[in-house]
Amino acid sequence: MTLLRVSGVTKRFGGITANRGITFDVAAGELVGIIGPNGAGKSTLFECISGFYAPDEGEVELEGTRLTGLSPDRVCRRGVARTFQKLRPFQGMTVAENVMVGALTRTRELGHAREQAHEWLRRVGLLEKAGAYARTLSTGQRKRLELARALATGPRVLLLDEVTGGVDQRSIPGLVELVRELHAGGLTLLVIEHNMRVVTAVAQRIIALHLGEVIADGAPAAVTRSPKVVEAYLGQAYVT
Amino acid sequence: MRTYAPALAFFAAAGLVPLAVTDAFLLDSLVLILIWGTAAGAWNIAGGYAGQISLGHSAFFGLGAYAAALCGVRWNISPWFGLAIGAGLATAAGTIIGFLSNRLRGPYFVIATIAVSQVLLIAASRWRGFTAGSEGIPVPFRPGFWTLGIADKRVWVWIVLVLALVVYLSQLYLERSRRGFQLAAVREDEDAALSLGVPARRLKVAAIAASAAFTAMCGALWAQYVGFVDPLYVFSVDLSVRFSLAAILGGLGSALGPFLGAVLVTTVETWLRAEFGGLGSHLVGLYLILYGSALILMVRYAPQGLMGWFYRR
Amino acid sequence: MSAAPQLAVEGLDVAYGDFQVLWQAALHVDTGEIVAVLGPNGAGKSTLVNTISGLLRPRSGSVAFEGQRIEHMPAHRRAGAGIAHVLERRRLFPFLTVHDNVLLGAHNARARPHREETLARLEELLPLLKARRAQLAHTLSGGEQQMVAIARGLMAQPKLLMIDEPFLGLAPRMVQEIGALVRRIRDEHAISVLFIEQNVELALRLADRGVVLESGRTVLAGASAQLLRSAEVKRIFLGDFAL
Repeated sequence: MTLLRVSGVTKRFGGITANRGITFDVAAGELVGIIGPNGAGKSTLFECISGFYAPDEGEVELEGTRLTGLSPDRVCRRGVARTFQKLRPFQGMTVAENVMVGALTRTRELGHAREQAHEWLRRVGLLEKAGAYARTLSTGQRKRLELARALATGPRVLLLDEVTGGVDQRSIPGLVELVRELHAGGLTLLVIEHNMRVVTAVAQRIIALHLGEVIADGAPAAVTRSPKVVEAYLGQAYVT
Repeated sequence: MRTYAPALAFFAAAGLVPLAVTDAFLLDSLVLILIWGTAAGAWNIAGGYAGQISLGHSAFFGLGAYAAALCGVRWNISPWFGLAIGAGLATAAGTIIGFLSNRLRGPYFVIATIAVSQVLLIAASRWRGFTAGSEGIPVPFRPGFWTLGIADKRVWVWIVLVLALVVYLSQLYLERSRRGFQLAAVREDEDAALSLGVPARRLKVAAIAASAAFTAMCGALWAQYVGFVDPLYVFSVDLSVRFSLAAILGGLGSALGPFLGAVLVTTVETWLRAEFGGLGSHLVGLYLILYGSALILMVRYAPQGLMGWFYRR
Repeated sequence: MSAAPQLAVEGLDVAYGDFQVLWQAALHVDTGEIVAVLGPNGAGKSTLVNTISGLLRPRSGSVAFEGQRIEHMPAHRRAGAGIAHVLERRRLFPFLTVHDNVLLGAHNARARPHREETLARLEELLPLLKARRAQLAHTLSGGEQQMVAIARGLMAQPKLLMIDEPFLGLAPRMVQEIGALVRRIRDEHAISVLFIEQNVELALRLADRGVVLESGRTVLAGASAQLLRSAEVKRIFLGDFAL
């Protein structure tokens, strides 16, 4: 059953076409990795899906409901949440309060939001930091906070932007495990990742972008061996 | 931070002083402190809680003042209606400025707010036929509660105190409610808040509109109290600065802060006038220098304002 | 030829706050070499080059240039010592002319007295500089800006020129020209070149040697001929399934 449908999404900035005719469907419960060299248009795609940019052409639909052109807060309330590549915790709030902002999108009661926040913090392993201020967290912990905050909005689809970026090696397996657990719990995920090991470990399906277009879409092994993908990343010489 | 003792003390004192004191000067100071404190509190709703710093709030103050004055002078309507009309006009103006806040960020927004207040200043001083132009409008004193013609300063204290309490409680609401929580997130990082489903734009507009309405009410009461509306004063940038200054000195984003800031600002001003009044126009800008210095010192040593200094965060 | 390397970087740990980006990174450049710094996005390539030029300070490790330790030297003095850094996306001063942009490159004390001479020689190397002397930098095309940026770097009379992504956003023809320029800089002016590049094949066809970073660590280094077609390179960029 198709949950998220992206059809023909095109986005231009001045003379540059960042996304060109991007089309793919995501079924409920899928975990799709989005890869591509720098400048391929991955982040732009997320911005178009999450409502920060309105695509110049094309549509984004969630279970048949049109998301194209909606403001980001409305996209979130419809059920698509996202994290940011550059972490943006609310500095003046505690960890729990950060997550409460997400929870308040689903509930009106502050007390209930606080409970939910604590529950999400427990799920991501940050409960003991609930009362701490966001600025005291390590990078790996901040990534978990971003996750918990987005999850508190109760999304159907979660867009993860570089969840392992900038995280030290030792913390990566823990984060990957967390993503796996969330997926196992039934969440549909789109994951932008530069770390190939991470993405091939969690994704059942990979979509590769290059210069704004989809150049491959399929199982990790097939995609990473596809000549177009090898050429995009490394050059013709590496295509066997 | 959750103790209300200071606020309780402040408002109780304000309410009880008129019973114990009859000195006109002290009562007058108290009325002014309460008016400026309330206006600063209204400013704080937009500036402190929503993070929308404006230096054009005199636009709303002036609208309220003129509405009250004109109602009395031109149409013989009770200034209480003027207060409501002024609040309505200010809400409309505030909504427009709220939309501006979604198009302009930071310093550009501030400049736009200044522009709005100055446009109103020019309109009021030139529109002779309607507003009696730059000469201003003397507000008629017709004794009676309904006409807000009250000679007894003690009663004035209590009237303004009611509005002060409403604004104080509104700020408290912003600290405790779901919408207030979301607004705090918008203040910290609007895009992150949007991504979490917070209707940032709507909230900002609502905060600015509410802030505008309350400021206009202060203007209306002030016009009736002082008895004269001068466009060059009620729409001035100086006045806008005073609202923000009192709020910032008192503690941005704290409910009692603006009132404490108003105490400080009004006291200093009164002292200045007393000390340097004789020197006339030579030192007219002196209070601005003092304000500026106070701001610099405060930002450097006590960024949370007086409230922060009390609680030693 | 077996002399100590011109640039030797060892054991570099670099962090932004408590966000560690490089772990024990290392590389070296011999005099007269062209070396490419490669790696997937976020691997720390720019961080490494920024640390060499002084825009960042390492937590630990060493950067030695011509035998002298420079990891704590202020950036502007490293320019005087002989290292020029051309930043990612050119970063020309948009509202200054080509002439002014280029001249500013000779700010350091060693190069300043010879500014005009150096400029004259560069204009021979790059006729574009003369032709567009008075043009405002932001009106140039990407490729032209890149040339001007490189010229600005060369005005410092460096012994080592470091370029962050010289081919970013350039049309294929421009890529050829810049590549040829880099070779001439090394061949005719005996200046070593260290550059960062996303496209592996492109980089290794230009460079003598390559250094590959992954997640902040130096994981592979070798002669270009070796690295081209290397399975290990494939694995680093595309994961285990790619093999």
